[in-house]
Amino acid sequence: MLGIRIFTAAACAAALVASTAFAQVPPADEKNPNEALPEKHTYTPYGETIKLDMAKKVAEAALAESTKRGWAMCITVVGPTGDLVYFAKMDDCQYGSISISQHKARAAAKFRRPTLAFERLLGRGDYFRYLTSLDDVIASRGGNPIVVGGKIVGAIGVSGGTGSQDEVISQAGVAAAK
Amino acid sequence: MKTRPMLTLDDCRKVSAAAEAEAKRNNWIVAIAILDDGGHLLHLVRMDGASPFNARTAVAKGKTAAETRRSTLVWEERIKGGRNSMLGMPKITPVQGGLPIVIEGTCVGGVGVSGVQSHEDEQIAAAGIKALG
Repeated sequence: MLGIRIFTAAACAAALVASTAFAQVPPADEKNPNEALPEKHTYTPYGETIKLDMAKKVAEAALAESTKRGWAMCITVVGPTGDLVYFAKMDDCQYGSISISQHKARAAAKFRRPTLAFERLLGRGDYFRYLTSLDDVIASRGGNPIVVGGKIVGAIGVSGGTGSQDEVISQAGVAAAK
Repeated sequence: MKTRPMLTLDDCRKVSAAAEAEAKRNNWIVAIAILDDGGHLLHLVRMDGASPFNARTAVAKGKTAAETRRSTLVWEERIKGGRNSMLGMPKITPVQGGLPIVIEGTCVGGVGVSGVQSHEDEQIAAAGIKALG
């Protein structure tokens, strides 16, 4: 009984006493968007691990943008599995950003989406709080997949400024991969 | 108040480039990590073909060298010499291939390399540090 159903109030009451329902599972909330069952599963496929030369190109573009704006950042580039390929901490960047930039890159690679997606969904409220229970999620913008030839070859993660500053630098890196 | 030298990103780039050049000259594929004296990662490259494990090990070796201000070979030899209790030291990686970066008598960080034979890893780390002059 793992199928997801949208219950009416009456059906909910019936479901609670039905033999196939587990007593521990509360009735579905019809306002919860997560109860919807999409027909399609759309995603960008994974490719081979980003080459070091490309990773450096991405990171250098991000570092150059940071220097231009006078921001001190940590820049991480990972492969599709979220494992480190390149890392640089700029002088005077806060220590906390070393691991956060890695976390953002890892999450963007492992979930094949910008970390901005998690941030925005969590901002919508209670129905998306479950996201924080998923392994390795970070709900803070600045992590973006690196797509080459229609495939995800890795991701970049940036931390050191505000989320919006991190995202600008991250995008500057992503743009260099195209 | 005491002042002491500190690694900049430019310093790290020099060390990393020299280490990578040493690896390429020998057709070795490795990961190279540079950390500050507190064991914080400053710079890392994983060459094409090096494994995720190599990246993690390079960081672990560099961290050990930076925090203990000794070559990781020192730890390896001590344990090999029978001092098994050294394995209980907090989060050390007692495997050759990590060297401290010592400037004017002060340890400012460490370099860790992983991917080839341990003594070759150390050779790469040493070539990197040499670039600081």
